[in-house]
This record gives sequence, C-alpha cells and structure tokens, in this order.
Amino acid sequence: MIRFPAAQLLRIVAIAAILLWSLAPIGLGVITSLSTQTDVQAVPARWLPHHATLDAYRSLLGGSGDFRAGGTVSESGAFTHALWNSASIMMLSTLAILCVAISAGYAFARLRFPGRGALFWAIVATTVVPVFTVVIALFGFLADAHLIDRKLGLVLVFVSTTTPLAMWLVHNHVKQLPTEPEEAALLDGCTRWQAFWHVALPQMRSGIAALSAIIVLLVWGEFLIPLLLTSTNASKPVTVFIPEYIGKYTTNYPLLAAAGVLAMLPPTVVALVLNRHIRGMLSGSS
Amino acid sequence: MDRPDTASTCGIVLEHVHKEFPGGIVAVRDLSLTVEPGELVVLVGPSGSGKTTVLRMVAGLETVTAGQVRIAGRVVTGLSPRHRNVAMVFQNYALYAHMTVRANIGFALRMAGTPKREIHMRVNQAANILGITELLDRKPGQLSGGQRQRVAMGRAIVREPAAFLMDEPLSNLDAKLRVEMRAEITHVHRRIGAPTLYVTHDQTEAMTMGNRVAILRQGRLEQIGTPLELYERPVNVFVAGFIGSPAMNLLPARLDSSGDDWYATVGGCRIPILPPARVALWPFAGHDILLGLRPEDLVSTEDARDSEHGIIQATVARTESLGSELLVYLSLNSDVTSPPLTARLDRRTAVQQGTYTRIGVNLQRLYFFDPTSGAAIR
Repeated sequence: MIRFPAAQLLRIVAIAAILLWSLAPIGLGVITSLSTQTDVQAVPARWLPHHATLDAYRSLLGGSGDFRAGGTVSESGAFTHALWNSASIMMLSTLAILCVAISAGYAFARLRFPGRGALFWAIVATTVVPVFTVVIALFGFLADAHLIDRKLGLVLVFVSTTTPLAMWLVHNHVKQLPTEPEEAALLDGCTRWQAFWHVALPQMRSGIAALSAIIVLLVWGEFLIPLLLTSTNASKPVTVFIPEYIGKYTTNYPLLAAAGVLAMLPPTVVALVLNRHIRGMLSGSS
Repeated sequence: MDRPDTASTCGIVLEHVHKEFPGGIVAVRDLSLTVEPGELVVLVGPSGSGKTTVLRMVAGLETVTAGQVRIAGRVVTGLSPRHRNVAMVFQNYALYAHMTVRANIGFALRMAGTPKREIHMRVNQAANILGITELLDRKPGQLSGGQRQRVAMGRAIVREPAAFLMDEPLSNLDAKLRVEMRAEITHVHRRIGAPTLYVTHDQTEAMTMGNRVAILRQGRLEQIGTPLELYERPVNVFVAGFIGSPAMNLLPARLDSSGDDWYATVGGCRIPILPPARVALWPFAGHDILLGLRPEDLVSTEDARDSEHGIIQATVARTESLGSELLVYLSLNSDVTSPPLTARLDRRTAVQQGTYTRIGVNLQRLYFFDPTSGAAIR
C-alpha cells in the first residue's frame, strides 16, 4: 500500500483544487464552443456534445452573415477585427512601456542625481491608485485630445498605467545585476549610453523577456479602460467585444465560448514561450 | 607642485586626494602617492581601508572630493573614465557574458573605431601572450576561473593603456592558481611596463608582487616603501602587525635601566637591550613600551648564543608543524591574560605541548613602539 504523509496529501489535494478551479472553466468553455446551441440548452444538461462541431469558430473567423448570436449578428470579420485591435494595442503598448520602463528603471537603479529616491517612489506610488478613481478625468483628457474610441488613446492610457509597475520591476532587476561589466565598458571607452546599450541591455535580456510577458498579459486582459474609452468596433479589443455576444433575450453560448477560447490563445502562447524567463525572474536567477 | 619628474610625465600621481561619501563617511584622507612608469605599487590594507576607493578614483568611477589625480602627465581629476586611457582588472573579472572571448578582448578597440583587421591582430597577440588563443571563440560562461582571469587581463593589455589598475584580481582563485597567476601578472607587467596600481588585502601578494607597497588604514596612508623596508622598518604597530606572516608578536613591556644595564621586562622575563637602540629609547626609561618580536626571530635555546640572544620563559600552548618549520604558540608564564607569543622554529625542535620552555630572542632584531601613539621608537 502506498502511504502518503499528511503534509504531502494536503499538498496534492490543494494542487488538485487549484487546478480544478482554474482549468474547469477553460474546459467547459472549450466543450461549449464545440457544441451546438441545442446541446447547450438541453435538459437534463449534457456534459459532452452529441455532435461536436466547429461551426462557432467558422462563424467567428469566417464571419458567415446568417449566424445569429443572441441579439447580435456575427458581422463578417468583426471578431477578427477585434482580435487585430487587441493585438495592435498590445504590441504598441508593450513596445512603448518597455522603452520607457527600461530606460527609466535603469536610470533610477544606476545613475546618481538629486531627488532620485523621491522621484522614483512618487512614480511607483501611482501604482496603488486604482484606475477607476481617475478614469473620469482620463475620459475628459482623452475627449479633449480627440482620442476617445481610438487605439492610440488606449495605448497612451495603458502606457501611463502600466509603466510605473514595469519600471519598478526593471529597477529591482537592474539592482541585482553586477555593476562591474558596465564600469569595465566605461573604462573600455563607452559613453554611459553605449555602456547601457552594449553591456547592460544584453545582461537584462531574460528580465526583459519576463517583463514583456507580464505586460502582454496585463494589457491583453484589460477590460474596464477599453470599455469606457471605446464605443465602436473600430477600436474595441476582444475583451470588450466578446460580451456583446450576450443578448438581451437569448445568447449563443457556443459562439460566446469559441470567442473566449480564441481570445485566450495569444496570451497563452506568449506565456508558454516566455515561461522560462518568467520563472527565472521570479526566482531572481535571470 | 608640478615638478617635472618622470612620474608626473608618465606615471600615476595622486596629490592630496580626499574622498568623502554622502553622509560624511571619509573613505580616503589626504593621500599622496606616485606610481613611477614601469612600477607596480600594491595598495594593501584591511577591508574598509579605502584601497578600492583609491583605485576607483584613479579610474574615474568615483569622483574626487579634493586633490588631484594625474595620469601620464595629464590632470584627469574631472575626466570621465573613457577619457583616461586606463585599463582595470576587476575582482570578479567583469567580463561581458554575452560576448565571445574575442569580442571581450577586442571591445575597447571596437569602441575606439580601430579597423577590424588590426583588432583581429591585436586580440590574437594579447591572447598569445596569455595563452588563451584556443579559447577565443568561447563565451565567458564556458571558462574556468583562471581562464576568465586571463581574459580579463587580455582585455586590459590589448589597449596599451597609460595605467593599469587591478582590484584584488586573484581573490576568487584557489591557492594553487593564485600562486601561478601571481607570477603571470608580474611577468605580463614587466613586459607591458605600464605603471600599475594593484589592490589586495593579502599581504603575501603585496610582498611578492609589489615593487613598492603602500599600506592603508581607514583611508590614511600609513607607510609606503619596498616590501623589505616595510618588513624591516615598520613605522608603527599597525604596519608591523600587518606585514609578515605569522604576524609580529607585540608584547606590553616595561623599560628599565640601572647604570649601563638596559632591559625590557616582559611577563617576568628580562630582555637586555643593546646599546644602539638605547638612544631612541631614552625618553621611555622607566615607562611602558610595546615590544615587537617577529616569530622568525625567536629560536630554541639550543640555537641561542648568549651574546646575541635574550631568554623568555613560557608555556607551550600549542604547536603546528608546517613540514618545513614548526609554529609554536606560547603563553608567557601562567598569565592567561597575557597575549600569546608565536615562534617560528626549526622543524626538528623538540617541544611538547604544556611544558614550560625557554625560548631565545634575537636581541639585534627587537622592535619598540610607543604604547600610546603606536609609533615606532627608533
């Protein structure tokens, strides 16, 4: 008979519970996306579809006009356009956040200038301000700048809300790196900027990879800000677009589920690819 | 101040250099030091003595609060590191981990815009001198400690710098490799001939490698001189205790004279003082002094000659045989509070732990220090 010590048993149970908690909705989503509306609404409930079908995916990606989803018609290409919105917003934001956060975080970690500590903590402190407390003012600003319902507006807001956190992470990462290679570069004839570019930046590679993954996941999953700052399909990202499949009287659940599964793919791929670096950064060995 | 001496045209010159960190911590106090061309000066001192700060100020990695630094006749005090033409070897080598050995060594040349062919040639030359030609295509992560050390040296010598700085370059190596690299650095230094400032906390390194050795304590230069000068004529208790291994024995003693008979009393034993030392000791007659005895100046009684040696009686607390010699740790009389006395005796000396024994003291080689100021009396 295999015997488990109590602590180990508890651990296994806890892990199983966490897995169930996080994977069950995804599993349910995948199953629903492969079902028909009849399967979903069957009484008693069916756990597996009688006739598995990819119709929901076809409809989303191909955009067949006759597929009615609740009160909303799945317009041709609307979902793929929302995916594209999400992707372009995510890429632009990530790039901009990385540029600002890396240079600022590095400067705060390495350069000595008056007011460094105060300025650094003032910026970091903004991370504790919940975004919904400033969102009304933000709306006003963006409206004045004609950036409501524009992707650029969202990118700017994401850059300003996420950069302090990213800068903080970069700062801590740089603090852990030895200063000597950069000093050696200065003695080897580099300017401060060249030492950063040729020596510090390559050293930070895995930290930057981990940070990119974190930013991608944060930006991709953002809901509240795009909900308030977009109004048409021209700029809506998937997170805001998907709930529109929920109709007032009926909802096409397979379509909704398939949209969810598709929206989950890009961040999953990013997380899988950069997983090694994220683990490295969390354990401080990157 | 601008004497047209050789050092001010070619070497490293520090004049009244002072360094105070924010918060009022003084790391270096009024330090003046010259490294002549072709000379290797070792800065040695306990940790926190400011030796690395001195090196970093010469490199330009640390600002100078007051004073002047000159390299090859040029005032560099306010210049950035890249304008000083100085090469430095760091304690942890500071190699560029993402570059190959070849790129590491050639980096400074690349930054200076040297043509590719010349870089290639000079890197090969440096690698040849250091015997690392077969490592040129590897990354630092694939090298052993000794090999990394050589790459760091290569990176420094390839530039033909005006000055060489080394910050404890051997402290991360094992004992055997350290001895090997010590010889190698000395060899490379002779070949390159650039003035070199070498920082270490290891007095053996200082004694074996330095043309001159500068001893720092709490940011102050205690003494500078050839290794032998420091060993033979330490200016104070600190230098006396720092140079030499095992360290010099420093014993509280009382100096007395009756007529022509001068002697120091240590733990109940009388050690005669020879006439040459008496002139300087005159003001201390009847007072306490610190008596310095090098472990190698103590001999077993069989080797002691009456005219040259005084006798100390002590109990053998412990012995350590090093093969070539015998270290004997003694305690004077039964006084447990008295400082222990270390003697370095011939390996064949027969002493037994716990026994009361007589040890000869070479009277020609006594050191005397003022117990209040610590300064040497001579």
